[in-house]
Amino acid sequence: MDANLAKILSALLQCTAVALQFTAAYCAFRLIRVTAKTASWVLISVALCVMAVRRAVSLGRLLWGDSPPDLWDDAIAVVISVLMIAGVLAIPPLFATIRQASEALRRHRDELEVQVAERTEELRETNARLSVELEEKRRAEMQLAQYARELASSNKELEEFAYVASHDLQEPLRMVASFTQLLAKRYQGKLDADADEFIGFAVDGARRMQQLINDLLAFSRVGTRGKPFAPTDCNVVLEYALANLGPALEESGAVVSHDPLPTVPADEVQLLQLFQNLMANAIKFHGPGPPRIQISAARQGPDWVFTIRDNGIGIAPGHQERIFNIFQRLHTRAEYPGTGLGLALCKKIVERHRGRIWVESETGKGSTFYFSIPGGKEP
Amino acid sequence: MIRNRRENCRPIEILMVEDNPGDVRLTLEALKEGKVRNNLYAVADGEEALDYLHRRGKYADVTRPDLILLDLNLPKKTGREVLADIKEDPDLRRIPVVILTVSKAEQDILKSYNLHANCYITKPVDLEQFIEVVKSIEDFWLTVVMLPPR
Repeated sequence: MDANLAKILSALLQCTAVALQFTAAYCAFRLIRVTAKTASWVLISVALCVMAVRRAVSLGRLLWGDSPPDLWDDAIAVVISVLMIAGVLAIPPLFATIRQASEALRRHRDELEVQVAERTEELRETNARLSVELEEKRRAEMQLAQYARELASSNKELEEFAYVASHDLQEPLRMVASFTQLLAKRYQGKLDADADEFIGFAVDGARRMQQLINDLLAFSRVGTRGKPFAPTDCNVVLEYALANLGPALEESGAVVSHDPLPTVPADEVQLLQLFQNLMANAIKFHGPGPPRIQISAARQGPDWVFTIRDNGIGIAPGHQERIFNIFQRLHTRAEYPGTGLGLALCKKIVERHRGRIWVESETGKGSTFYFSIPGGKEP
Repeated sequence: MIRNRRENCRPIEILMVEDNPGDVRLTLEALKEGKVRNNLYAVADGEEALDYLHRRGKYADVTRPDLILLDLNLPKKTGREVLADIKEDPDLRRIPVVILTVSKAEQDILKSYNLHANCYITKPVDLEQFIEVVKSIEDFWLTVVMLPPR
């Protein structure tokens, strides 16, 4: 190659290399602003400047000195410069992408924070509402417990009052009853007919009052004098009841039959009253023939259900609930005697034993009384 | 049943300690239906009863009773206190005391017998039964039983 041509070519290549290196140094410097990594870019920038200066010196030596042209070296210098500037120029887009991604991430994080704040607020509201409800519920429960206590106390007072009232009424009542009877005994037929009638009404009234007070006393004692439950053999209780009803049974010619009865947890005295009252009713309200009474028991779930069937006058469906109410009677005193407390007493006893009592009947076709007592073993 | 005939056939003196005049009258009427001649004297409270028995004050000239019918519900001194006083007194304790009261309570019965009551009777509510009870008291204590000498 011609020496001058080589020199010119070398000079051109070196110029290009210097220009590219200075440009790269400048771009690198400008990257400081883009990436805020000052130290790195300053160093690279300085390095590139140094390279450019060195190349410029080499160019100077070629043009005004005696250095021979090294085209191979110059070409490599240009390639390196191109690579350098390409590398530096590739950084900003990269950083742009990184920045976008971090922006997106930050935005996403902000959104999430807002969502979390919203959810937390919702939860707080719900919590507040729930704790208000809980407080109300607790207050309501306390009030309920308070009412229950007051009711129980009031009930007890009423029962005690009923007991004391009935008890204290007996004394003056005994005076009225005894002396009217004495009057009747001594003066019946000795005064005029009117006097006899008046005395008759007085005696009858006093006797009914005594019966009523006895029944009321018995009724109020179910609660106040109830004994704790113990296993009670109902066969034994039934025998006692039959013994107590002996005269009434004989007089009416009643026939009583029964299946073996179970042993249940109960107050023995009250169970006796229950059986006795129900059978006394069966005898009292008998039909045209002699009374026939059948007693049985069957298990129904956790309860024993007792059945007392009679062939008496029956009870119309419309009255079948009323009769268990206190003082409810279905007949006049002239038709059948009674105070209207017998079945109310039975109901109170059954309910104290946590059972139920009901009747199935039709007028003229007898009645079947059922009552349930929970617990108990096989007969 | 062995009936004891009294040697001098004098009437039996009965002291009734009862604050209810109705019950006193009923007892009187019932005793009238009895067989033995008797005098019933009634006092209305426990202090009067003890005055009578000790023949104090206005009771200086009374005859000591052969039988005492004692109610438990009395004003001033209770029937139980009167019973205790009678049975602690060496002169009075020999007189049979029949408790005749409305109460059926077990503790009343127990306390009365513990204080040496001779027997305890609950007044029946029914008139006829009351009369029967008084007549049986008379029958038992005045004809079956040997009473202590005066």
